[in-house]
This record gives sequence, structure tokens and C-alpha cells, in this order.
Amino acid sequence: MQEEPVKRIHKNAIKAWTVNALIVGLIWFIPLVFFVVLSIGGTVNTDLKWYQGIDWFVFSLLSIGALFMYLLIGLLYPKLRWQRWKYDVSEKEVDLLRGIIIKKRTLVPINRVQHVDTRQGPVYRRFGLSSVTISTAATTHEIPALDDETANELRNTISALVRKVKGDV
Amino acid sequence: MSDFKKQHPVAAVSQVFETIKQNFITIIILLFIGTSNTDGYFLYFLAAGIGLSLIAGVFGWWVFRYRVKNDELQIRKGVFVKNNIYMSKERIQVIDITEGLIQRLFGLVKVEIKTAGGGTESATISAISREEAEALRTELRNKYGQSTDNFEDDLEEKQADEDRILDSWKLPNKDLVYAAFTSGNFGLIASILGAVSGQLNEVINEETIEYLYEMLPGLNNVTMIITIVVAIIIISWTLSFLGVIFNYSDFQLQKTSKELIITSGLIERKHVTIPFDRIQAVRFVEGVIRQPFGYGMVFIESAGFNQAQKGRSIVIAPYLAADKFSEFLGDFLTEYQEPDYEIKPKPQVKFRYIRRPAYLLLVLLPFAWYFFEYGWLLVFLLPFMGLLGWMRYKDAAIGLDREYIRSRFRNISRTTSISKRVRVQNVNLSQNPFQKRKNIYSLSTTVASGAGGMSFEVKDLNGDACQQVYSWVTGISNGEKIDAVGEGETLDDNQ
Repeated sequence: MQEEPVKRIHKNAIKAWTVNALIVGLIWFIPLVFFVVLSIGGTVNTDLKWYQGIDWFVFSLLSIGALFMYLLIGLLYPKLRWQRWKYDVSEKEVDLLRGIIIKKRTLVPINRVQHVDTRQGPVYRRFGLSSVTISTAATTHEIPALDDETANELRNTISALVRKVKGDV
Repeated sequence: MSDFKKQHPVAAVSQVFETIKQNFITIIILLFIGTSNTDGYFLYFLAAGIGLSLIAGVFGWWVFRYRVKNDELQIRKGVFVKNNIYMSKERIQVIDITEGLIQRLFGLVKVEIKTAGGGTESATISAISREEAEALRTELRNKYGQSTDNFEDDLEEKQADEDRILDSWKLPNKDLVYAAFTSGNFGLIASILGAVSGQLNEVINEETIEYLYEMLPGLNNVTMIITIVVAIIIISWTLSFLGVIFNYSDFQLQKTSKELIITSGLIERKHVTIPFDRIQAVRFVEGVIRQPFGYGMVFIESAGFNQAQKGRSIVIAPYLAADKFSEFLGDFLTEYQEPDYEIKPKPQVKFRYIRRPAYLLLVLLPFAWYFFEYGWLLVFLLPFMGLLGWMRYKDAAIGLDREYIRSRFRNISRTTSISKRVRVQNVNLSQNPFQKRKNIYSLSTTVASGAGGMSFEVKDLNGDACQQVYSWVTGISNGEKIDAVGEGETLDDNQ
């Protein structure tokens, strides 16, 4: 099999993904907040049929579960994801490698690329990162978290390559 | 035809029926759920919904105007947001005249006009008389405009050349019946019926069951279940039978120099035009029931036209003998050829294929065993799963030619897809930890279909085989020889 791509995405990706996951991950705590609010506001003999006071066992189980998921996704996952993510762009193709448990590799021939964009969300902006999105007639592929300069350069490189190849045909 | 024209008033209703038709199954299911556990206020919602869309339809019809002027089709529509569509004649690629159910009742037709290029713009005139439609079509078709008299004959001839039917294929009535008998849809319909019958608490209550026991001596729990299952199978088979008959009656495929034209349907006459340059892949699908008879169904994937539609597969032959497929390709899709060179999974992965379908069953089995009295009967499905796996192994293959790829794989039905190299948008490899130990990959290729893509996956190929597809797809110029398919190349497996 042809050599795997070698270029890594920016190291800041780990921090950016962590921050992102820690913000988004607050969703995991909604059931807890729900429980706490109910336990403060409600009494045991409430009219709500299903609510019979707070069950502390379920409560602690939920909190531990939520905390575990939160930390796993916030701290461990970004690191693993960064370790796997590699890409390469050559005259002929864009080669992407990703996936933590199931390893995925995608090859997009340059002359199938329809357009290339760079994107930047609020978290990425703080870390000076951008992602590059490559679209074909059928699918869209993203190279996440490159520093702004590299991302712009890559976008221009790909678009120049596409123009060159399409001009040839 | 330079004055603005309106549609026939039926257009106001046709949209409502279109919506109902598209959501038919959802509505049926909602009806059952709605009536079984509420006082029926749910029905008012449904009625209100239909009423609202009817009002919207009437207003829509009221403001809709179309005309042809300055070599352009101009359409004005939109109640709140005014929408003006201008389509120049040269850009119009396809004009489809369809007779829907509602339209047919009033002797009307629906006209769909689609433009060329990567764009997905299309305009629909939902109800006008056939004469008007034909007139519109002729006028729009006359692409070369009002040129001087000298040229006119020449141009008309050119137009006539483009419209000439070069070849046509009809589905014989006998084959239509076979197709209806062997359609695999009944499985799908049966599962829907099964879900609905779960909601039939009102009909199937203890009284009816007792009544049935009295009426039919010898009925116990087991035979009762068997009877219900058989009944569901028969009903769904009948429905799928009728579905095929309605859809593919008088099926006709025609070929002109630039496009394929499909006409079919018993109650609704559909008319679909597909320009050759929109075709992304051809698929031959052999269902489990059809394959033993040596028959299958031919689809094509086409890109663009409808942004809302994720995938766009069109049936171009509902029932075709497998050994006639090559010939059929030769007649109608001359550009598509079947490659000779073939890559297959190595024999070492055979057992992986055989045991893979059983995994799902092994997960389900303990639950079924525990919760259902006869759940352990599922054990008897294991050999069939093994057989399915073995068949998948036998069928899995990728064929390569300089310009073509053929992926063959089986889920339940066997699919053979042929695509041109330039139409393959990307190649994906995926490798799970078990595959990694054996250094094998699942390889899929994606082609565009509608606004999205369609992938064809072949599992458990070794690195060498994947490399061949990799190098094949990136080959750039047409004249260039692609090494990967040649014999002499040795490619290192990445250890």
C-alpha cells in the first residue's frame, strides 16, 4: 500500500478541540441540573406521577457517568484524534488519514475537486486555526485545524493544482 | 406565445395530492397511532393541514404565470416572496411531460423543465392541457431560434437528428408479471404492516380472538401466530405485486443521440429524460428471488437536477436477464464497458466473510431467547447467515479497465455497478482493528448521485489490491497508461 500521508495538523488542535468539547460537553450535565432543580423545588409527595423525590443513587450514578464522558471527550479524545489525523496534497491527489478505532483513509483525485474553502469558528479563531474544506460533485472533506497561514496556503495550492489539471484535460 | 398564461385550476389541487402521495406511509401510520390512543382530535390536525395546503395551492395557482419571450421561458410565481424564473432556451436540457393521477382525470399534463450545466435549477408547470404542453415543448425545443430562412431547414434537420429515436427497448408483459412476482419490496411492506398491526388493538382484542378460536377449531397460539405471519406475507406480496404493475406497465426505454428517455406507468404515466453526460454509474441489481431465475434490474445514477434529492437512481430496465446485460449496455449505454481485469478478496479472508453476517444475530440471540418464548428458534438462522456470508465472499470483486471500474458486492441482493474513472469522486479505505491485524481494508468508491453521493463498498481487500485502485483513480490524462492495472508492476504492501 502506498505510503501513508505524513503532514500533521497543527498541535493547537488538541487545545481547540478540548475547549470546544468542554463547552459543548456541558450538555452532559443537563439531567443533573434537572435533578437538582427538581430536588430543590419539589417535595416528595408531588403531583407529578413519576417524580418521587430525588433518588441519590441514580443522581450520583448520573453525575459520575456525565463527568466521565465529559473528561473522556474533552481530554483524551482530542489527543487521540490529533495523533491519527494526517494529510498530504500532491499534484495528483489529496490523501486524508483519520479515525481512532476504525482507521479511515480517503483519496480525492485533484481533478475531481470542485471547490476549496477555508473556515474558522469562534474557538478556532482564538487559537489561530482554520479548517480547509474540499468539495467534489458528491462529497465534502475537511482538513481540520491548520494554522491560518498554512490553511490559506493549502487552499491556494489545491485550487492552483485543480486549475492546472483541468486546463490540461 | 408572448402573453403570460395561467395554469389549469387543477394545479391548485395537484400539489396537495403530491404531498399526500409522498407522505402516504407516514400518514397511514399516523392515522393508526392517532386514532388508537386519542379522541380523534388528531384527525382535525390532519384535516387542517390538508386544508391549509389546499389554500396555499389555490393562491399559488392564482399568481402563477408563464410565457415564452425573447428565447426565454419566463415564470412568475410566489405568493409572499415573488419568484421570477427566466430560463434561456439554450440552457434548457430536458423537458419532461408527465401525466399524474390528478392530471389524468382532467386530461392534463405536468411539464418539468430542467436546465443544463452543474446547476440544479428546474421549473415545474403542474397542470396544462396536452396541446399547450406540446406547443410549449416545440417552442422551447427550437433552440436555434428565429434564424434566416436559408438556415432554417438545416437547423430543423439538426434538431430532428437530435430527437430521432435510435433504439428502443420495451418490457414484455410476460416479464412485467415475473418482475411483479419476484419484486423484493414485499419484505419492506411486510415490516410496515407488522408495525401497523401492532397498533390494531381495537380490531384484535380478546373477543375477536375468542371468536376466531371458536370459528376455526385446531387454532392454538402457535398456529395463530403462523396464520398472522402468513396473512401479512400474502397481503404485502399482493401490494408489492400491484406496485410493480402500476409503476412499470408499458415500460419503454428509448435512446436518442444525446439522451435516454423512459416512459412507464399504468395510472400515472411518467416520462423521464436523462442526458448521457449526467449519468454517473450503471447498476445491475439481482434480488435474492430474481437471481436464481437469472434476472435483475438495471438502474442508473444521475447527478444534479434536484437539489432536494440526496440520491437519484432511475430504473432503466425493471426486469432483464443477467446474460443480456452486456448486450443491453452495448445498445443503450455504448460508452460503458465491462472490464476484464478483476481483483478479488484473497481466500484467507473467506471465513471472515462467512462469520460476519452472524455477528448481528449473535448479539440479538440472548435477548430473543430471554424475552420471547420461541426466541431460541433464531439459532436455526445461523447456517443461513453463514451461507449469505459465503455468497458475499463469492460475489465480492472489483473489475478495472483503463477507463472503467466495476464493483460487485452483495448485501442481500447482488449489485454490480459500472462507472467511468472520471466519474469516481473519491476512494475510501477503512480498516478496523481486526482488519489491521490481517492487513486488509474495506474499499469504497463514491460517485455523485442527485445532490449527494453513492458509495460502492467491497470488504476485506488486501493492500496490494487497494493500491491498484488508488493508482488507477489518480491517473490523469486519458492517453496515459495506468501502471497499476498492467501486469509487470509490483507494489509493496505496507507492512
